[in-house]
Amino acid sequence: MSSEIKDDLLEETAYVSPVRKADWLMRVGVFIVALVVVLAIFGPYIGPYDPTRTTIRIAFPPPGLTEIPGLLLDWISGKLDYPPHWMGTDANGYDIYSRVIAAPRTDLKIALLANILSLIVGVFFGLLAGYWRNWGTEFLIRVSDVLQSFPVFIMAMVLVALAGRSSTNIIIALALVYTPIYIRLTRAEVLSQTSRGFVEAARAMGNSELSIALRHVLPNSLTPALIQSSVTIGFAILLTAGLSFVGAGVRPPTPEWGLMISTGANQIVLGEWWPSVFPGLAISLTVFGFAVLGNALERRYEKG
Amino acid sequence: MLIRYITRRTLIGFIQLFCLVIAVFFLIRLLPADPVSRLVGLNSSADAYEQAARQLGLDRPLLQQLGIYVGLFPDIEAGLFQGSLGVSWVTGSPVGSEIAVFLPVTLQLITIAFILAFFVSIPVGMLGALNPGKAADKGVFVYSLFAGSQPEFWWGLLFVYVFYFQLGWAPAPLGQLSPMTLPPESVTGFMLIDTLIAGEVGKFFEASHHLMMPVITLAFILSGPIIKMVRQNMLRALQSDFILYANLIGLPRKRVARYALRAAMGPSMTLIGILYGFMLSGAVLVESVFSLGGIGQYAIRSVLAFDYPAIQGVVLVITAISLIVYLLLDLIHAAIDPRIAY
Amino acid sequence: MKRDNPILRVRDLKVGYEVPGDLIVPVDGVSFDLNPREVVGLVGDAGSGKSTTALALMGMARPPGKILGGKVEFDGRDLLTLPDAEIRAIRGRDIGIIVQNPRAALNPMLRVGRQIGHAYRAHNDVTAAAARMQAVEMLRFVGINDPERRVEAYAHELSGGMAQRALIAMALSSAPRLLIADEPTSGLDVTIQAQFLDEMWQTVQKTGSAMLLVSQELGVIANFCDRVLVLHKGRIVEDAPVRKFFAEPQHPYSKEVLRFYQERASGFPLQVSGKPGFLQTKQLTKHFPLRGSDKVVQAVDKVTISVAKGEAVGLVGESGSGKTTVGRCLMRLEHPTAGAVTLDGQDITELGATEMRRMRSRMQIVFQDPFDSVNPRWTVANILDEPLRVHEGGNKAARKQRAVDALKQVDLDPSMMMAKPRDLGASTLQRVNIARALICNPDFVVLDEPTSVLAPRARNSLIALLARLQKELGISYLFISHDLTTVRYLCQRVAVMYLGQIVEEGSVEQVFTAPQHPYSKALLSAHLMPDPTRRRVDNPALAALEGEIPSPIDVPKGCYLASRCPHVVDNCRANLQVLTDLGDDRAVRCERVVNKEITNENAAAHD
Repeated sequence: MSSEIKDDLLEETAYVSPVRKADWLMRVGVFIVALVVVLAIFGPYIGPYDPTRTTIRIAFPPPGLTEIPGLLLDWISGKLDYPPHWMGTDANGYDIYSRVIAAPRTDLKIALLANILSLIVGVFFGLLAGYWRNWGTEFLIRVSDVLQSFPVFIMAMVLVALAGRSSTNIIIALALVYTPIYIRLTRAEVLSQTSRGFVEAARAMGNSELSIALRHVLPNSLTPALIQSSVTIGFAILLTAGLSFVGAGVRPPTPEWGLMISTGANQIVLGEWWPSVFPGLAISLTVFGFAVLGNALERRYEKG
Repeated sequence: MLIRYITRRTLIGFIQLFCLVIAVFFLIRLLPADPVSRLVGLNSSADAYEQAARQLGLDRPLLQQLGIYVGLFPDIEAGLFQGSLGVSWVTGSPVGSEIAVFLPVTLQLITIAFILAFFVSIPVGMLGALNPGKAADKGVFVYSLFAGSQPEFWWGLLFVYVFYFQLGWAPAPLGQLSPMTLPPESVTGFMLIDTLIAGEVGKFFEASHHLMMPVITLAFILSGPIIKMVRQNMLRALQSDFILYANLIGLPRKRVARYALRAAMGPSMTLIGILYGFMLSGAVLVESVFSLGGIGQYAIRSVLAFDYPAIQGVVLVITAISLIVYLLLDLIHAAIDPRIAY
Repeated sequence: MKRDNPILRVRDLKVGYEVPGDLIVPVDGVSFDLNPREVVGLVGDAGSGKSTTALALMGMARPPGKILGGKVEFDGRDLLTLPDAEIRAIRGRDIGIIVQNPRAALNPMLRVGRQIGHAYRAHNDVTAAAARMQAVEMLRFVGINDPERRVEAYAHELSGGMAQRALIAMALSSAPRLLIADEPTSGLDVTIQAQFLDEMWQTVQKTGSAMLLVSQELGVIANFCDRVLVLHKGRIVEDAPVRKFFAEPQHPYSKEVLRFYQERASGFPLQVSGKPGFLQTKQLTKHFPLRGSDKVVQAVDKVTISVAKGEAVGLVGESGSGKTTVGRCLMRLEHPTAGAVTLDGQDITELGATEMRRMRSRMQIVFQDPFDSVNPRWTVANILDEPLRVHEGGNKAARKQRAVDALKQVDLDPSMMMAKPRDLGASTLQRVNIARALICNPDFVVLDEPTSVLAPRARNSLIALLARLQKELGISYLFISHDLTTVRYLCQRVAVMYLGQIVEEGSVEQVFTAPQHPYSKALLSAHLMPDPTRRRVDNPALAALEGEIPSPIDVPKGCYLASRCPHVVDNCRANLQVLTDLGDDRAVRCERVVNKEITNENAAAHD
């Protein structure tokens, strides 16, 4: 290689981007998400009680912090008649702990499926609208815009309440909410990518438009949508919980955090905080975990 | 130029609104729900059922129903063109007047919450941006992620438990005023304004007291995304070439900070619009917890009762407000940033 | 020319930044003096730390960089130890700076006049109205005509040259004693660059200030500087008066830099005798509709070019000339509004999609930005394989071998097959692009400014490669460039374009030794030769153009150059100029030249 090329390779000593922030934050996010996934798979089985069956112990408070080690010991050594209610029971007698760890299955399943559905549909139409710009795709964007200006929560409520309160309908409702977002995100990225030189170079080379769209543009346009997914899943969980809270979500006795909070809401004024606080804590941490993970992914892949 | 832009946007807005209403109209009628049974009861006789269906207008062909709703048959029933949103199937009152009662409650709540969120978020966001990478910035950032991912209804409940039940600082979550208090005469529909207009200062403070927790809850949730956005936009602005150059020509610090703030505000406008629109329907959760009686609760009631005209009315009104807010914010954005051409 | 009282004394300046586990110090102990009324040039390669040094003189470092040590003495005070308020007072008032990308340096949200006003008021206690008047005066001072109107413009409404002038107006508004100019003309057109540097130099002489001119281009340094500093590996390795530097460089690095710069005084490429009209355009016209109005942007106006088989034809012009659009029309990346393009007799403007695709294997293009024209996620192997896959198919092993051969053909090592574009330097990647263009054995290649973004050192070797490949493979080139001098080593014939029209064409020898059209003359004389014995500032500006290129939306009625031409008369403005054949395969678009009213007394002979 000529010396000039060698120098070339050493050329760019531009400033390196600033040192990354708090990677411990990313680890926290990954941990939380992993935990939720594990619970989604095993949750319903590992609790001491069946999450869908009531017990006779109504509105039992959870044990105090100091009592826990003792209780644990007693339980393991078999001295107790019934397993402790680590998080207490609610007004119907459900063991809260078992339901809290069983709920991820419901929430995550809904959120994941809703996200995958809207991702596939959204990326497909986003690619279409961004690459082939004709009146047909412009119309598509207008429709997507109208969909996006729907009042999100109300529309989800309407769909679920009127179509029937099943997980499937919730998934469809959420997908309808998130698809326009993915369309917009993908389309923006596709528009940006198609203006780059390598697309023209591919055209000049004799590639067909379809080939360019699939081989060049699509792989380079997926990143924003994929990064957004983590955040979307988190918000889908929030939405599901919210819907269940107002009575337009999953049906009892399915263990679901929002539903649990709703049932517990009536008891809060009586001072019985545990039926609402524990599930709420769970949502709070879970969605936070997804948001953190999404942000970490964004930071890592932003330049890509 | 400006007038043309506004007219164009308004026109497009109307079309969007119209399409939306039609879409919702068909959507809810195509769903398998049965509003007649809801109203008449599941065990009603066939006659009663048919009579109810006729009363609700559900026996007519779909397109005719749409035409009536839009206002093409004013002798049968007043429709959109006549300025009527129909009549609630549950209460029998005009949907428009019902919304006029509920909507201001929500608007009041969100607007105050937004203002509070702003006052808190902008300085905090700037604090993070001006000290990038340091402890303050990390704290600000983590807080913004946290606050933005919280279930507001749960936090509302938490606040009720702590501040009402334990500390007694806040009133019981039973509505805009204590159930014993007679509300002032409704002039604008906004409780705070109406109490002042009626001269009942005591009630003004009571209403404010009752609004305290819902507003704080909402403002908390809003602060997450707003801080994140302010911080990000400020950081980007501060790292831009023209800020570097402004420092190089010796502009005083205050002037440079103002340059950066102005650059950061522009892109923020879009997000604010989206947040406001989202809050219009999202506030329902907080409204429920505190029994405020806002449009969200009206929407829930209508949805669960299959009250089609009410549902349509709510969707229309909320979307219309969102579109107006979007337009306003786009105008502000264009005023701030001259690169945005009309 | 050492004076007793230098305006600025830099001692052992160090700037660095932290990466995980290490400290990188691009500026590692820089020391020099600057004297009043002196123009000092600072050269060094890209990334050598020139800009970092320039900023550090003002006590600034772009994050994450930090000033690690040293002294910058100005007026007896060390700038690096001053508190923030005091150094802000000095910046702008005593030391002014202009930077590389003028439009990015201006606040996009404020009108230009207001910004200049802010800069002025930062150092002078005046009212806003007075500051605005000063802004208008400064704009006039830096050569912007109609300053009353321009003062209300926003940054994005200004051209590159205008924006740079606005920046100078801001930098000079408080009459600083030292002006730092960091690559002020990179990205500007050749004629604008010459114009601009002329004016900046005169301004500096008028105000009696000192100037530090940072540049990679030795031509700029040779023509405008009194003294030269060479920055290498973070240190000043040479500090000499300009003539001495060019004549007898001392440091081995300086010698190396100058070696690549000696423009070869070789002869012109020999003519070829291939089949004429192999690639032909006839009255090629391209108009772009303007959104929201009836007007059109006239990019290309009835251009007729002919390239013989095996011949290289240069198409030269500055921004707005339409040369890139011509290239794109040839490749049918744009559809011509009128006119035809034929390759080997076949009209390609009317071909259907499938036939056009097949035709594309015979004509290829190499773009200006090597990084932008490749998919950043693909490896070199993928990049080279794509044309083979599209046009020839065949088995993978055979294609792989072809790719290896293609790399060798452009002097690259096949070991870089698995590399990604971001691992390669610009000129290496550009060679990959050339390999990609040649891999299907095309008959014709459009080269759209292939060397413009490369470092000056890399340009010559790339041109040499292209020349060699042409001889070996017998392909025809259309070589598009804004720089006449890159064309002369590669092309047999050249056409000069201005505002969408060809204003002169002929053999390279003819156009270079005796340019006819005033624009060609200006282009040639604007090229800055790295020869300090014939400094542009020491001789009156030859054939310089004034003003800026007219808008392609409202093209002038008469001669397009009328607003800028030094030889303009009334007839020029009234009469539409026609491309006239002068015989001997030459043509020129200028009545006065055809009528022999302008002679060649100002011809800048450049061999």
